[in-house]
Amino acid sequence: MSGRVLRWLAVGILLLLVAVPLYWIVVTSLKTGRQILMSQAIYIASPFTLENYRYLFEETRFALWLRNSAVTAVASTIVSLAIGAAGAYALTRLRFAGRRVFGALVLITYLVPPGLMFIPLYRTLIQIGYTNSLGTLILAYPTFLVPFVTWLLMGFFRSIPRELEEAALVDGATRLQTLWRIVLPLAAPGLLAAGLFCFTLSWNEFLYALIFIADDSLRTLPVGLSEFVVSDFAFWGQLMAAAALASLPVVLVYIYLHKYMVGGLTAGAVKG
Amino acid sequence: MSKILTQPAATVPRAAGPAWFRVNRVQERLLGYALIAPIALLIVALIAYPFLNAIWLSLTEKMVGYPAHFVGLKNYATLYESPRFRIVAWNSVVYTVGSISAKLVIGMVMAVALQKAVRGNQLLRGFLLLPWVIPTVVIALTWRWLLDLYRGLFNVGLHDLGIIGAGIHWLGNPDLAMLSVIMANVWRGFPFFGVSFLAAMQTVPQDLYDAASVDGASAWQQFWRVSLPSIKGVVAIVTLLSTIWTLNDFNIVYIMTRGGPGAATHIFATYSYELGIQSQRWGMAMAASMYSLPVIALLIVFVVRYLHREEPAS
Repeated sequence: MSGRVLRWLAVGILLLLVAVPLYWIVVTSLKTGRQILMSQAIYIASPFTLENYRYLFEETRFALWLRNSAVTAVASTIVSLAIGAAGAYALTRLRFAGRRVFGALVLITYLVPPGLMFIPLYRTLIQIGYTNSLGTLILAYPTFLVPFVTWLLMGFFRSIPRELEEAALVDGATRLQTLWRIVLPLAAPGLLAAGLFCFTLSWNEFLYALIFIADDSLRTLPVGLSEFVVSDFAFWGQLMAAAALASLPVVLVYIYLHKYMVGGLTAGAVKG
Repeated sequence: MSKILTQPAATVPRAAGPAWFRVNRVQERLLGYALIAPIALLIVALIAYPFLNAIWLSLTEKMVGYPAHFVGLKNYATLYESPRFRIVAWNSVVYTVGSISAKLVIGMVMAVALQKAVRGNQLLRGFLLLPWVIPTVVIALTWRWLLDLYRGLFNVGLHDLGIIGAGIHWLGNPDLAMLSVIMANVWRGFPFFGVSFLAAMQTVPQDLYDAASVDGASAWQQFWRVSLPSIKGVVAIVTLLSTIWTLNDFNIVYIMTRGGPGAATHIFATYSYELGIQSQRWGMAMAASMYSLPVIALLIVFVVRYLHREEPAS
């Protein structure tokens, strides 16, 4: 009995722990600048206003950053899925020398933290003269997305019976045809999970976007958001409105992702 | 599917003999190399080359506009002697150990609390995972605002509850600033620990708990003797992975404190950023990054060995 009470108590505390900061984002975004500045009605938005949201779209480059983030996230997701799926198929189904070593290499590159890679990668991008464009990010994000997708999909591909492919091969299909018509359709949940993870990781990415992009009109949402804080003063109402909107797409994506997630979590661990 | 079946069966007769087998093996190998070529290119051009280049640059003195010249281990020696860098290295350890241990404990509590099927379990789990999906930048900014000296919810709330008099200068006091960035990191990361542990616990057969229960084991003993041993592999892997990323974390610290006050919250990645991007001292920045490499490499070796063991032999 006491175990049950304790369990509910723990659940309650955890819920509160998660809910309070989220509530603080939403409630701040609905306050007027004056209400925030004067510390009036701290816990609720009274007066209630959507002015911060209007301001974001009409007076700032928020819509542009939103577009930049969407373009970058969608493009790097597509690129990474294509490259990763091809690689995962080769590594799980085809026999060639160096396969196991290469598989380990993919895993290692996935594990190298971006905090260690950003300066070397930046130097290289400068050397090849390719910084300060959305293309730079679409080139850079696959460095962490592709190893992840490959690793994740290898798990999914392994779960597809080889017999299905062998039957098709005997019937005269080529390897590429079996990949396209049998393996990929059967691995659709895996592809979906991988794609959604890629989108989320790209959408949330900050470090590379901060460093590789100098032009304000090319900023992605996270970088644009961080720029709202001017020294120690910030327009918290607008900033929290932007925070709420920046979180919305991934929260929506995640509602779909949720049922595919357990598979994704066990097939390849995700950053945390 | 039907298209495959009706295709001209030109290759089928060869399927019977060993000649087909040989040809196919060569084709298979070529196709294999073709399919991994894009990944190989990516790894070589955008990971391996930059990385080797970074190691070389860490042995040079490189300022913007001047060619790099080789100085051997001088950058490493300078950093080793530098009080600021020693603080950075120590901070990275404190930040990592502090964050990971809190994430472990809270994650475990979350898993145990949600383990027994409670109503709305899916919904609860989904909600508790939210910190892990929303952008880290949003989290860092929100925590900065929560901890605001005058108008942040923490100080106002604690004051209204009568716990504190004046506002606490969370991000201005060196010790509290470290605690603050750790809190934000823990908030972001504990759901991943919790959900992973929970997923692992749910694969433990109920029989084990029933047997333990018959033998008179308390809830605590069941956790300690049944749950924990069964999920220790997942605990190890999640801890290792999170340690790798936390040690070289950037976003939370950069946005909340920029490494300050002083260097009180500077960790490897933020300090490399300061040296490399802000001061343009590339060689020194690379050397600073490289100092964390032995630990990262060791952790990666453990993860790779563990995950490869999990892989079915093929």
